[in-house]
Amino acid sequence: MRKVGVVGIGTTQFRSRWIEKTYFELAFDAVKMALDDAGIAKDKIDCVVYGIYNDFFERQFQPDLFVHDYIGMAPKPAIRVSTGGATGGSAISAGFAQVASGLYDVCLVVGVEKSADCFDYETGKSSPEVLKAISYTADMTYEQPTGRTAAGSFALTTIAHLEKYGNPTEMQMAKVSVKNHRNALLNPVAQSPIALTVDDVMRSPMIAYPFKRFDNCLYSEGSAVLILSSEDVAKTFKKPPVWIRGIGAALDWAVIGNRKDLYSFESSRIAAKKAYAMAGIKDPVDEIDLAELHDAFTGTEIIAYEDCFFCKEGGGGRLIDEGIVERGGRLPVNVSGGLIGCGHAVGATGIMQANEIVLHLRDEAGNRQIKNAKTGLVQSIGGPGAAWTVCLVLERDRI
Amino acid sequence: MDKRTFLTWADRNARRIGVKKELVIKAFEKDMTTQTGADTPFEIPDTMHVNMRYSYGGQSRFFREILENKRIMGTRCNQCDKVFCPPRAHCPHCYEKTAWTELKGTGRVLSYTTVYFATSSYIKQVPYIVAYIKLDGTDTAILSNVEMKDIKRARVGMQVKVVFRGQRDGRITDIYFKET
Repeated sequence: MRKVGVVGIGTTQFRSRWIEKTYFELAFDAVKMALDDAGIAKDKIDCVVYGIYNDFFERQFQPDLFVHDYIGMAPKPAIRVSTGGATGGSAISAGFAQVASGLYDVCLVVGVEKSADCFDYETGKSSPEVLKAISYTADMTYEQPTGRTAAGSFALTTIAHLEKYGNPTEMQMAKVSVKNHRNALLNPVAQSPIALTVDDVMRSPMIAYPFKRFDNCLYSEGSAVLILSSEDVAKTFKKPPVWIRGIGAALDWAVIGNRKDLYSFESSRIAAKKAYAMAGIKDPVDEIDLAELHDAFTGTEIIAYEDCFFCKEGGGGRLIDEGIVERGGRLPVNVSGGLIGCGHAVGATGIMQANEIVLHLRDEAGNRQIKNAKTGLVQSIGGPGAAWTVCLVLERDRI
Repeated sequence: MDKRTFLTWADRNARRIGVKKELVIKAFEKDMTTQTGADTPFEIPDTMHVNMRYSYGGQSRFFREILENKRIMGTRCNQCDKVFCPPRAHCPHCYEKTAWTELKGTGRVLSYTTVYFATSSYIKQVPYIVAYIKLDGTDTAILSNVEMKDIKRARVGMQVKVVFRGQRDGRITDIYFKET
């Protein structure tokens, strides 16, 4: 297997709505940024992987075809990946395989998503119709008709975890919300940079017990792109490569009732374990300098601390209480603001997270730079109750 | 565009997407009748809609028994004896065929959530409880709604039993659960 590095990145602003851009125009903007960042023209690209989640969001089935057309990549080979919230992480994983296998040298990985064109005429709002579009990706035979929402599927696990371990408490979840909204204040592409208090979160309206308004990420529109290169040609780009040292992925039972336990995300534990083994990481807290974890909901960020082996099972709540995962802590989590602060433009999210890590490893993260960052972790999860997880370990060359 | 042209436009589009005319007017009137530059983003009312006749295939008996006989069925693996509800025609572990078996319809809540903000199809029904219920005699859990007077009393471990709705459609929502 060949070594693969990230040699170009681009992320558009994440917004609640990009009314002035279609999905293919948004993708164009991020592709242009990534090509400029890599210092190459588009003809240097050998193949493309598209990460686009929900066809309703784009009002287009097989939307990858029309991104490919719009960004002028014809007739280069391309595939589309769609794994729910993990779409971005899976797209990077698929791109990695294209290059590591030796099939191609330079792979463009394009994540893009709209959502707020979905519109509920009855309430005059987008959100209920966005949720409806998402609901079609739940099991249509047994589960979707019950009215369980995306938040509901993660709330079910969070409640089971709370029942078993006594955490995450609503207070601990509120602290995660405050942290991620605050971290977003330093991120120029973030959708929800807000200075909040724990009280603000605790008083926000209930969405799916125990998650309140500020425990949830928002739907975003945006695009994030990265360029992968084989080691052979990686040195020919403008900036030093950031290496993908480990990848782990899993797809658990998607009908959650078929799982052995409901209180943890088995896919996340397997993905992290595999990524660490591939990267040679033995003590993640010691060896990882920053992590972007999939905080679609505050409770799931806390469970993710455990699933990524930052602590023992049941110990997640303590990490936020003790400030270990804060910006200045031993292992900062979601300095970008995460999905809660930066946003969740589904197909683009995992790539946005990876791009954030790349900025820090290149020492280009400006006033939110984590000093001397050498190794970063990305966790990208999706599907009902984190059916899919992809973990990536990124590392810069040690000088 | 002028008001009259707008109203004709709204009416035509409302019919096309199957939404009440007044709601389309409400959503678009300001944007469409205010003088704006030619480069201002232009939105249209739209929908994506497909009608179907969906076959339950090997799951058919489960839905037919609920609809016609108010019976709840699981399936048992001929090899490993595991009982599945939701049912499956084949065991995912042994890859052997399963056989239908009637269940008592009582069980225990493994986890739950209360939904306060829902999709446009369910938003008028909030708040409601969605729970994973392990039916007695089965090895898996089924997602369903639990109806109770005081929703704040929902708990993990709650004992529940199946209720068949009076009006049934042949969908999973023909059943729900209540506390025993």
